Amino acid sequence: MATAALAIGALGAIAPVQAQTRVDFTVAEYSSKTGPYYEEVASAFEKENPGIDINIQVVPWDTLLQRLTTDIAGGTAPDISIIGTRWLLDFAAQGVAEPVDGYLTPEFKSTFIDTFMAPSVIDGKIMGLPVAASARAMMVNMDLFEKAGATPPTNWDEFYAAAKKLAALPDTFAFGLQGKEIETDAYYYYSLWTHGGDILKADGTSGLDTPEALEAAKLYKTMIDEGLTQPSPTNYNREEVFNLFKQGKVGMIFTFPMLIPQIKAEAPDLKYKILPFPEGKAKATYGVTDTLMMFADSDVKEAAWKFIEFAYKDEWRTKFDHGEGFLPVTKGVAAEDYYTTDPDISGFAAGLPYAKFAPTIEYWEEIADTTVRTMQQIYLGQVTPEDGLKAAAAEINAIRAK
Amino acid sequence: MILPSLLLAMFIIGYPIIDLAWTSLQQVSRFGQLRGFNGFDNFAEVFGDPLFYDSLWRTLIWTVAVVGGALLISLPVAMMLNDEFFGRGVARVIIMLPWAISLTMTAVVWRWGLNGRAGLLNASLMDLGIIAEPIEWLATAPLAFTAEILIGILVSVPFTTTIFLGGLSSLPQDAYEAAMVDGAGWWGRFRYITLPLMKPFINIAIVLNVIYVFNSLPIIWVMTEGGPANGTDILVTYLYKLAFRFGQLGKASAISLIMFGVLFAFTILYVILVMRAEKEEGVKEEVSASVEG
Repeated sequence: MATAALAIGALGAIAPVQAQTRVDFTVAEYSSKTGPYYEEVASAFEKENPGIDINIQVVPWDTLLQRLTTDIAGGTAPDISIIGTRWLLDFAAQGVAEPVDGYLTPEFKSTFIDTFMAPSVIDGKIMGLPVAASARAMMVNMDLFEKAGATPPTNWDEFYAAAKKLAALPDTFAFGLQGKEIETDAYYYYSLWTHGGDILKADGTSGLDTPEALEAAKLYKTMIDEGLTQPSPTNYNREEVFNLFKQGKVGMIFTFPMLIPQIKAEAPDLKYKILPFPEGKAKATYGVTDTLMMFADSDVKEAAWKFIEFAYKDEWRTKFDHGEGFLPVTKGVAAEDYYTTDPDISGFAAGLPYAKFAPTIEYWEEIADTTVRTMQQIYLGQVTPEDGLKAAAAEINAIRAK
Repeated sequence: MILPSLLLAMFIIGYPIIDLAWTSLQQVSRFGQLRGFNGFDNFAEVFGDPLFYDSLWRTLIWTVAVVGGALLISLPVAMMLNDEFFGRGVARVIIMLPWAISLTMTAVVWRWGLNGRAGLLNASLMDLGIIAEPIEWLATAPLAFTAEILIGILVSVPFTTTIFLGGLSSLPQDAYEAAMVDGAGWWGRFRYITLPLMKPFINIAIVLNVIYVFNSLPIIWVMTEGGPANGTDILVTYLYKLAFRFGQLGKASAISLIMFGVLFAFTILYVILVMRAEKEEGVKEEVSASVEG
């Protein structure tokens, strides 16, 4: 109490003394820039709204969920927080999240890119706002393509043909295929989506038993068998595949924007290019978002919302997205030239209009794990793609029925 | 005066188990909130899960292989280290070194070492001309699991050797001298003096190692996370996945209760067997003593 009083007293020295409304805001730490950035937004906001005090808590991603869980259980939950969108369903199901439909004016709503709103909609209600976004794309090693006399592919047939040429080079793997640990399933979804399939069918059952899913899996398996990937993909997690690329041993990988600063630091001479995923029957990329959520228990929702609207102004969003290397979630920032002309970021941003997301459904982690296991079995040759996918679909449907 | 500390000990040991049992009978949210009893649903789900049986079977192989391997290596090592020779102090330190490094770090180092393209093991084997192409050690379950068992043995040796060294240094030297006078060879001395006298130490090494190894997460988790395709999952890695990745705390607590039961049953059974064997031997000795007398 004493420190709180002191803090208020100290603030009172700057701002005119009046009843302070305190908004607690838990911020996920994306990088060392995140905390200072939000402090800056908060002090600018406080200058305009002297009655409101924004209290920022920066929490590392690793401990964020646990921190929020204990805060909720202990009755000391913040008023707003950045969360992983995949947690939103659980927060919504337990009445922790406040639907924001009532606060969201049509004008404010129209500032967001529609695709990024979709993952926050649960049972028809908007449970949060997209706060950070990222998408995936293909990255190719141009030196290897030149050496092999191949052109970067735009569809899967060209991809396969280019792989054949690249594999002929000595000590070179055409395609870096991830087969171990986190996001092994995502590597398959890239192929699944662009082949026209989806994780779930329209009726909510698993989409793994469709012809498109089979075609997507068969392509990878064929490439493994023909030596077009690095040997034994099941021994390579995401970082290990990316490391092979940094060493210049791999022609093509599927990756995220965060790899670019790594390459610039560790392999500055690597000539890479960002391209959209090869097309099959559809264009697709994997979009990942984080959500800004308001807590149902908050007593200061009006003030919190005022801050949210302030923080989504273009001038702040552009600073955030550039600073953290994210893709824009608002139309204003997306319209900047940077996202169409910068060769690194434009390749990722180009996919945004047709980005797909991991479905916000119960038991998602378990369903993803089933997919990972099945892919590993297929890559290892323990099951045929036909049998493996059929069994996985049945298993996922059983999990969904729980 | 014993009573208060006994009560405290029972509370400290008993409370988590009771809490675990309590949780395992309920529906639990992924935030750890209890949402009412659901009877034995969690257990039914565990017993209906093929991955549980696979993991159980693999846990058995893992425990027997690691503990057995550690015992087979540690006994001769301890006997060698018990003999006087130049540099024995250094040799003892070298054997104990793996113990000084955390299990997780050991596993991380081996994960790098066994990497197919960048790993030290493949590089050495290729330099020596033993293999022509790099081997992806962790890419398939059988090879990965074997590697993990060998590392498990490696890290269990120091502890086991320490127990055995303690035992060996307490053996009466006059028994060996008498046997040598009687013309007993090395094998005879080992078979009829060392082994029987070391029995209590071997027993304690078995019980303690089984408990440690059965519950050991870091090696497998760091190297393969139970993969590929759940092919190296043992109960504790499967449990970890259920609890902290899938958020199924109810099912996870059911499994950990089952694990506790298995270990408890093993320990009790083993102690009973050992006690019965000792009793029989005691009777035999008494009989032979009275006959001779």
